[in-house]
Amino acid sequence: MSHSGKAYIAGIYEHPTRRADHLTTAQLHAEVTLGALADAGLRLEDVDGYFCGADAPGLGALTMAEYIGLNRLRHVDSTESGGSAYLLHVMHAAQAIAAGQCDVALITMADRPLAAGTGTRLAGVDRNTLPNLPFMAPSPPMPMYGYAMVAQRHMHDYGTRPEDLAWVRVAASHHAQHNPHAVHRQVVTVEDVLASSIVADPLHRLDCCVMTDGGGAIVMVRPEIARRLKRPLVNVRGAGSAVQHSQGGEINLTHSAARHSGAQAFAQAGVHPRDIRYASIYDSFTITVIVQLEDLGFCAKGEGGRFVTDGNLISGQGRLPFNTDGGGLCNNHPGNKGGMTKILEAVRQCRGEAHPAVQVPDHSLVLANGIGGSLAGMHAAGTLILEAQ
Amino acid sequence: MNSPKRPDKSTSAPAPAGFDAPFWEAAREGRLLLRHCPACQRLHHYPRPHCPFCGHASTEWREVSGHGHVHASTRVERAPRPTAPAIVELAEGPRISSAVLDADVHALRIGDPVQVRFVPGESGALALAFTTPQAEAARRYSRAARAALGQPDAAAAQAAQALQHAAVIGAGHMGSGIALALLAGGLQVVLIDPKDEALQGARERMTQALSDEVTRGRLSASDMADRLQRLRTAGGLPDAAGAQLVIEAVFEDMALKQSVFAELDRIVGPDALLASNTSTLDVGAIAAATAHPERVLGLHFFNPAQRMRLVEVVRAPSTGAPALDLARALVQRLGKVPVVVGICHGFVGNRLMITREREAARLLLEGALPEQIDRVQRQFGLPMGTFELQDMAGGIALTYHARRKAGQSDWLIEQLFARGRLGLRAGKGYYRYEPGQRRPMPDPEVRALIEQASAEAGVQRRRIGDDEIRDRLFLLMINEGTRLIEEGMVERPSDIDVVWQLGYGWPDWKGGPMYHADQLGLAQVQARLQALQAAHGERFAPSAQLARCVREGRSLTSHTS
Repeated sequence: MSHSGKAYIAGIYEHPTRRADHLTTAQLHAEVTLGALADAGLRLEDVDGYFCGADAPGLGALTMAEYIGLNRLRHVDSTESGGSAYLLHVMHAAQAIAAGQCDVALITMADRPLAAGTGTRLAGVDRNTLPNLPFMAPSPPMPMYGYAMVAQRHMHDYGTRPEDLAWVRVAASHHAQHNPHAVHRQVVTVEDVLASSIVADPLHRLDCCVMTDGGGAIVMVRPEIARRLKRPLVNVRGAGSAVQHSQGGEINLTHSAARHSGAQAFAQAGVHPRDIRYASIYDSFTITVIVQLEDLGFCAKGEGGRFVTDGNLISGQGRLPFNTDGGGLCNNHPGNKGGMTKILEAVRQCRGEAHPAVQVPDHSLVLANGIGGSLAGMHAAGTLILEAQ
Repeated sequence: MNSPKRPDKSTSAPAPAGFDAPFWEAAREGRLLLRHCPACQRLHHYPRPHCPFCGHASTEWREVSGHGHVHASTRVERAPRPTAPAIVELAEGPRISSAVLDADVHALRIGDPVQVRFVPGESGALALAFTTPQAEAARRYSRAARAALGQPDAAAAQAAQALQHAAVIGAGHMGSGIALALLAGGLQVVLIDPKDEALQGARERMTQALSDEVTRGRLSASDMADRLQRLRTAGGLPDAAGAQLVIEAVFEDMALKQSVFAELDRIVGPDALLASNTSTLDVGAIAAATAHPERVLGLHFFNPAQRMRLVEVVRAPSTGAPALDLARALVQRLGKVPVVVGICHGFVGNRLMITREREAARLLLEGALPEQIDRVQRQFGLPMGTFELQDMAGGIALTYHARRKAGQSDWLIEQLFARGRLGLRAGKGYYRYEPGQRRPMPDPEVRALIEQASAEAGVQRRRIGDDEIRDRLFLLMINEGTRLIEEGMVERPSDIDVVWQLGYGWPDWKGGPMYHADQLGLAQVQARLQALQAAHGERFAPSAQLARCVREGRSLTSHTS
């Protein structure tokens, strides 16, 4: 069922903090809520649908509903799929609004792994309950090792080069220089990336995203409310999600679930990758971007490395500007979950409200894609195609 | 009464004895079980009672080869044990997300063969992992090399068991470490030093070392008390009178050692064994100072002596067979591994290490930096590089004093020494160290000094590749090892590998320098040495032993495995 034209993104907010030493996670959720409602021109009492992931402390959506003061909820959804959860939330919220389950849906994300010193762990996810835990090797469970293997296999199968990976970071750094909140604002070169230390061969330190605290929120509403709100209309024209895992022993390192989520979203939107003018692409690591660009159909499988070289992802010069806020590589990656911030920048672009230096001129159709979990193991992909109306 | 909960290492099954119990039973025998679905005929990992492909409610265990190849891999940098997270594709098809451990992970490539290896994980329970056939072969060789050392005869073993009283002369770091080793072996020990403060310091160090062991749960408090009770300190050699075994660990000075041994020879009983812990001096000359040189030999302990398992048993020409056998048996009684070596500068272990250090110093002058040279050695498989090691062991001061004693000068060493760059304890040496951190950090000051050293020596610095560093360090060691064989300094070539494994951390998955030479191929080693000889001088000239092996088509170690 297409929900295009039946649900609009009306408000967004990104928390400016990158390290929340003096805020609790619940406070962060509340602050991003108020920010997104203010952006939309709505109030707490208007919210009747609430969506959050496992970073929301307490019991699913309930604790945050109570803490924030969402007093007339009739629809809740605590879908957790790692960093892609928020793309799935937008899809679910659009469906719920289209089905009349709620009128004003709020989606929040916030966490503080830096302040809490919890490293790359995902809040609310208990690794000790993994049924395959006893069968895992005595090796550190860091995400970078899985992505390093994706990169190695991609290089082996398709001739992708370390320089290609580096171009993704270079493009992100070109965008981040204009974002005063970005963790890394200095523009880097391919040589800088290759000269940074190896963290997990073949990945360099600059191939990896930042780790930050923070969060963001999105408000979605029925068309009648959206038109009343004097904000640019951002229609969720297409959405898709898909799950992939080790499939009983058929691990596929170079192909992600974005093949299926992307196809679903494009089919629903009735558009093609060539119609997309801006893309927010999940960038936990540089290789993550290359695999998604292929799987979403921006280029053929194996061509991702060549696609991103020579600044092709840089706004104003490349064919497909991406992550114009600096992305997870340079701006922020709150709670080790980059999905929320991918959507936020896609909405800014769609509204024409990105930084003037990086705003794409034709912003009628933009895309956001997220990968949650690990490309090398289990993950969920979520794809959104947003349309300015 | 409630006692604090501790993880119980004795329960090795990772889950309550359930449906996966057969998996772990097979694992203990090194066999890998997957689940096979009788309905769709497919194999899956990790084990589940149902089939994750077709949904059939029950599946059965199926043993697989445990062999496969690398589908993809990466590496954990500076891991305590070589660890390559890897996707392994089993010969039977399924891909497993796992890791290749205890192997040459730097050389690992897509498509390389691997085989299953269950290893104890953090909790003590077995964990599923993989290793390479090359690493397995090297481990087999390493076991054979240890077995080839042989056992002293039963009479010597009995005599070693009967030893009760030992004396250690010299209460420095080595002396107190050796005393700890002897106490751990159940002997009564008198530690002798003319300086009261040295004895007091030694007692404090030993007590601290023992209480550290107690804290770590490796020693009971009563055992600690028992050991301290068996320790006595004294100020003069006459207190060694009742000792059946004396180990001397005084300052490295021939005249001093000779006078100590001459006096000991008169004091102790006629059957007592006299050993020197010298690492550089001629044990034969020390023995010659006594009336009974047949009972004199070297026992070269490695620092810290209470922990390091290697002891080089140095045989002088005058050493009698009974003394040698007794010494070997005693070292075994201490839970250590005796390797008999002949008399030469540095014996077996240090001779190769000094060779490597000198070449590393030349590489610094020619254009390399400590961090590059050390990285090459770590990537080769050693636990640390030569400069990190020297920083840890106070090598700059040792070299400084050794060079001065030999009347040689070394501009860089003198500069480092003069600037108090004495190593890890000083917070700076070849590297700098953050307070409380042991991780070596490259230091611009050292880089500048090295560059100046090159200028002082009139050497034009150049970019030196990793391959050249590896060849110059390790081929030179190999060549020096073959000279040890040629000179009869070892009983068998594989002894050199045992020394380097136990004394210097050469990994058992790489065998040792002599085994490594055989893996490279001796003709190849010879050819590369000749090329280095042409480029860098006579020190690379292949030894006669190496040339002979190549000519006769023999290997160094093949008879061992």
